[in-house]
Amino acid sequence: MLHLRVVSGKRWSFKMDYVKKLISEFDCEYVEDYKKNWTKAKLNSKNDLLSVAEALKKEGLRSLSTVSPTDFLDDNIIEVNYFFEDLDTKRNLWLKVNLPREEKECEIESLTSLFPSAEWHEREAYSMFGVNFLHHPDLRDIIKSEDFAGVYPFRKDFDWLEHEKNTVANVQQIVDAFKKEQEENEVDLDTDSSETILNWGPTHPASGPIRLRVHCDGEEIISVDPDIGYVWRALEHLVTQKDFIGAIVSVERLCFMDNVNSMTGYAMAVEEIAGVEITPFASWMRVLLGEVARCSSHFMGLGMFFNNMGLHTLAMWNMDTREFFLDFLESYSGARIATAAIEPGGVRYGLDMSMFDELQKALDKFDGNVDEIEAIFVNNPTMKLRANDVGILSADEVHKFGLSGIVARASGVKTDIRIDEPYAAYGELDLEYITQKRGSSKDRFEMIFLELKQSVEIIKQAKAHIEKAVEAGEMNPTKDHMVKVPKKLPKGEAISRVEWARGEVLMHLVTEEKAKSPYRLKMRAPSFNHTMMLDYLLKGQTLSDIPLIFGSLYICQGDLDR
Amino acid sequence: MSELLFQSFIFPGLFYVLLWTVGLYWFFRKFMAALHKRVGPSFNGKAGSYQTLFDLSKLLTKESITPDGVNPYLFSIMPLLAVIFAMLPSAFIPWMDSFVVVDSNYGVLALVVLIGIEPFLLFLTGFGSNNKYSFLGGIRILTQAISMETSFLLAALSPALLFSTMNITAIVEQSSWFSFLVLLPGFIIYFIALLGLLEQPPFNIPDAEQEIVYGFYTEYSGTNYFLLQLAMFAEFMAVFSGAVALFLGAYKGVFFDSYLFFFIKMLAIAVVMMTLRAATPRITLAQMLSFSWRYMVPIALVNIAWVLFAKSLWFMGA
Repeated sequence: MLHLRVVSGKRWSFKMDYVKKLISEFDCEYVEDYKKNWTKAKLNSKNDLLSVAEALKKEGLRSLSTVSPTDFLDDNIIEVNYFFEDLDTKRNLWLKVNLPREEKECEIESLTSLFPSAEWHEREAYSMFGVNFLHHPDLRDIIKSEDFAGVYPFRKDFDWLEHEKNTVANVQQIVDAFKKEQEENEVDLDTDSSETILNWGPTHPASGPIRLRVHCDGEEIISVDPDIGYVWRALEHLVTQKDFIGAIVSVERLCFMDNVNSMTGYAMAVEEIAGVEITPFASWMRVLLGEVARCSSHFMGLGMFFNNMGLHTLAMWNMDTREFFLDFLESYSGARIATAAIEPGGVRYGLDMSMFDELQKALDKFDGNVDEIEAIFVNNPTMKLRANDVGILSADEVHKFGLSGIVARASGVKTDIRIDEPYAAYGELDLEYITQKRGSSKDRFEMIFLELKQSVEIIKQAKAHIEKAVEAGEMNPTKDHMVKVPKKLPKGEAISRVEWARGEVLMHLVTEEKAKSPYRLKMRAPSFNHTMMLDYLLKGQTLSDIPLIFGSLYICQGDLDR
Repeated sequence: MSELLFQSFIFPGLFYVLLWTVGLYWFFRKFMAALHKRVGPSFNGKAGSYQTLFDLSKLLTKESITPDGVNPYLFSIMPLLAVIFAMLPSAFIPWMDSFVVVDSNYGVLALVVLIGIEPFLLFLTGFGSNNKYSFLGGIRILTQAISMETSFLLAALSPALLFSTMNITAIVEQSSWFSFLVLLPGFIIYFIALLGLLEQPPFNIPDAEQEIVYGFYTEYSGTNYFLLQLAMFAEFMAVFSGAVALFLGAYKGVFFDSYLFFFIKMLAIAVVMMTLRAATPRITLAQMLSFSWRYMVPIALVNIAWVLFAKSLWFMGA
């Protein structure tokens, strides 16, 4: 489903030609248009990568969304995919390049010097696929635990069963590595100073399953090194073990707070490869369910922000309202959190129109509360005193570090996949960019609140539209929810992007001929980039600012580790 | 002898403090729950009133863990000392008409000093815990105590200056509606400093859960943790009763004088404190320091000047 806006579409396609021309000047296997605002190209030689990246950066494609290697065992190559984005003009480039599989030759220039957002993504590609990035400033393992040291779990020839036979030894290896680190981490510090290394997490009251190694001098922070991977479930691998429908349970576990939109992204990629178009009813339901899930996430995000400053009232109030939204999800799917409500071909269940009564209750509850919350919490003077001047991100930094979602919009960058690249029924909706100017922690908090209000508006619009169409007989809520998607898919690959509660989720799906399950699914999740910013934002601040800035970046450890 | 035993173990001693702790703990929970739109404890006893008793007995019977590498004496004696020192001020408080355990001419001074020792004891618990977070919490509580106690002392002095006596019983006897109005600015300063001393929001910096885990509490469990909690509630009582005796006329009531009014006044302070707790996020250490030294202390000094001025105008004859 593509809803072109005539005017803006023309402007985009005009500018897109520049990108196409630019990339054509290099030695490419192919250059082709892809979707409305993507160009897809494959380089013949990996040596061109740096100069291509430099030219792209000059052209304005300043963000690198992710680096996604795919391991083709039969062809003996690892294909590395780069996704370049321009958040301003919405032109994107999907660049591919082949690397040999042999560990010693599997190397390519790092793009970190040009695109700082590449730093962690390249580390991830290195840890999972063994792609060696030359001239990378800090090429260490990330996400995977110490028992995977020296092996690359996402390579197709990695034997998971064999690895899991030695569970006890593996755990011992993790414990030993941790003990060694704790013994050595303070060796280099000046014994006369008050410098120390704090473990902020993973069992800290405000951290969640993440560990920040905080190097601090008394209360002042010198540097922060996030250690992530405490909830690594290898979802990208689990997906390949299931069929196309079963995979949604892995996809939705990206993060429990907003699970619907990630399923929408995955389902869109599958539908693209299968060549299936879903019904209008299903696409409207995707909008409706997606926004309900977004609301339930934003309720928690707002609460967490205040929790991190020691005030639990807002979280409690929001939980109260959130329950009503979960009631609707429960009445629709039978589950409150992990709904599994969206699958390739549409939405999983038909709709009983009486379920909308539950939704109406939630909307009424929200409308009754929202002014109170705004008066007490959004305009809270003590909160402003604390959050107004910390964690400031400029628009330029948003581009540089590939940030998205509320974090990007709080700095005034107009990016929202729902508007840039409309999916489901978002093209037919009244939607506007909501932005703030300064990009401080307070602005990010206000963004969540404003977007919560926007989401509730969207729910109202979608609900009214569905009700009207059902009444007019244009939609059949019990039969229109699904179209058939073949169980076996042809060889192909697709990317899809959705605006998730925390920002852009990019799914890169690869299938083999007559595939029953995905060959490779890369999930690019926003928290990964946002966590990368912690060191940058916290340097020179005090210990009190860690939870505040951490909370304002709206990080979910689920999609951080995947 | 029997009177001394009664005073130290029943009223206003140990039993009274325990009763106050259990009751106030339950009240805090119920009151916060209402502000949070929750229910709070509701299963054990009427409206969950036994819940705190069960919790306390659970804490008392749980294993009290002394971590490796700490000085066990410092680690275990400090909570006990903290409780004792927190309970001592109540000996100087006139709880009822002509009922005070120690009728000292230096009552105000004793009150301020005993309340002031408490943060130092808590610092030592953090110091003795051999844990980075505990130590940070200890440093924070010391920093906060030093800055908040200055204005606390200056505020507590204002009734003593007004009535030219440090005897708390004498202060209560001379107090009136009019003196309450004169001392109102002093009371407000006392209340804000009290929030700082008791580590209540927005000054709950020393045990800021989200920043430094539980501060000096981090390594404590079981009985020792119970003692620290008891010390905190005893400290609540000491500081609240100090406020009521110095500024609000202690047991003096509307139609008759009774302990009841003393209790209601203490509860009113607790309610205001809780409401602030439910509506104010925590500020940072630097903000607390600048608030204390830039605003609180100068204003407390101006208040002293105001009290002396008011005294020369209206209270010289008395």
